[in-house]
Amino acid sequence: MAATGQVKNPTATMGFAGRRVSDTRSTNLIRIMLLLVIAGGWEALSRSGLLFRDVVPSIFSIWASMWKLLGTPAFYVNLQVTAWEIFASLAIGAGLGVAVGIVLGANRFLGAAFEPYVYYLAPTPRIIFFPVMIMWFGVGVASKIALGALSCFFTVALSTAGGMREVDKVLIRVGRSFRATPWQMATKIYLPAMRAPVLNGIRLGFGTATVTALLAETKLSNQGLGFMIMQIYSRFDMPSLYGLLIIVFILAGIGNLILGKVTGTSA
Amino acid sequence: MTLASTAATGALSGQSQLVIENVFKQFGEGPGAVTAVDHVSFDVKPGEFVSVIGPSGCGKSTLFNIIGGLLDEYSGNVMIERERIAGPHKAVGMVFQEESTFPWRNVVENVAFPLELQGVNKSERLDRAHHFIDLVGLKGFEKLMPSALSGGMRQRVSIARTLVSGPQILLMDEPFAALDEQTRLLLGDKITQIQQDLNQTTLLITHNLTEAVQLSDRIVVMTYRPGKVKRIVNIDLPRPRTSDVVSSDAFGHYVAEIWADLREEASRGMADSESARRASSRG
Repeated sequence: MAATGQVKNPTATMGFAGRRVSDTRSTNLIRIMLLLVIAGGWEALSRSGLLFRDVVPSIFSIWASMWKLLGTPAFYVNLQVTAWEIFASLAIGAGLGVAVGIVLGANRFLGAAFEPYVYYLAPTPRIIFFPVMIMWFGVGVASKIALGALSCFFTVALSTAGGMREVDKVLIRVGRSFRATPWQMATKIYLPAMRAPVLNGIRLGFGTATVTALLAETKLSNQGLGFMIMQIYSRFDMPSLYGLLIIVFILAGIGNLILGKVTGTSA
Repeated sequence: MTLASTAATGALSGQSQLVIENVFKQFGEGPGAVTAVDHVSFDVKPGEFVSVIGPSGCGKSTLFNIIGGLLDEYSGNVMIERERIAGPHKAVGMVFQEESTFPWRNVVENVAFPLELQGVNKSERLDRAHHFIDLVGLKGFEKLMPSALSGGMRQRVSIARTLVSGPQILLMDEPFAALDEQTRLLLGDKITQIQQDLNQTTLLITHNLTEAVQLSDRIVVMTYRPGKVKRIVNIDLPRPRTSDVVSSDAFGHYVAEIWADLREEASRGMADSESARRASSRG
């Protein structure tokens, strides 16, 4: 493939960047307007009295309970528990996933033999294993970590195996022609070449681990944000429930953003 | 290998640095087997520039992989300093046809790669890399990533990366195949100049006739499947050479002479691929 080597036209580049800035501005405007429209519609619905008042509480009461939640120590205790569950399950699941992915990607025979299992098991709902995990690890944090690790393992293993196979063959031949040792092949060619797919797999794994941890907490637990959601629900404290949901959304978004920045993969 | 030992063994083997002896390679087995390289023999002397030319499908790339030690299962011998090679030989530096720069390394880091493998310390690594970057005419581009370079520049990075490892034999597989004609001629100049400056023993695999005549001391013409040596032509054009040589009468004479041989092989190859296409469209 011969890319033509043109020196980039500076004015063209600037024009392009300029357009991009105004694009971002108008998309931001649309996004904010969408939020305002939803909030306005919600508030109107709430005040119209068409629906049961407690199901659609006023924006202002949600806002107030949100701040109240952020002021309670219990929230932070639960947040810590959930964050630890996600972190631990990602560390275990992604670690195993990368290791297994490398083995499946490197060995054509093992890949052909076992990858179908990983491939077809990957989209199955892991939450059905939750009762098993409770029996093995108890109702506490450990069962959530086990289930979360199981969930993100598949995503990471598949993307690692795929990334390994997609390493440009000619780069491997270059390494061999310079008589690289197996260790040098791994650290100087395979790992850097696989960086993007592996990190992307870990990012997707983070999403899966988050979903699984929260879902498991809502099912059976004694701490964590999912547990807190169910507690509030049992009191039928709708403003607090919505407030907590919004907080969880924002936190998950921030977590994803940070991970995206750290791994250098955008969106 | 030191210069002294090269000279000593060279004297014993009649100055031959690289000897290809009865090399035979077949892919597959039984009636469906394809003979890619059929008892090919030739040699490359120290400081000499030899090209292997032939139509697509004459087993050129197979030969390249065998000589480079990337393809182990073949019969016959590839000898360097009178020893049969086993795997990639340290005397051979390969330049590949495909895009082969590391996209995650900038130009200096790419060029310094083989030195990094050898455990050369950083300051010496950079010194030597800069020297060869300069030699291929990429001074000022050291910090750029390959994605910011043109195809021709990236191929020069690959060539510098191979030269920095100090190969006794430079082995190149159609390194300019993906480039346009002008870039190809200018890069040819660069290669000629480097080869003359370093007295670099070079074996070039190509399907481009003008390129082969422009650069070579000798040309090995291959037949279309199975790939045999059809003829070896000495190119007695004066050195030092530049791309200006392409306008000389002698150059035209050589091109016409080799083309007569090559045309026959190329048209056999074309007929073959057409009948194969017809067969597959029928089936």
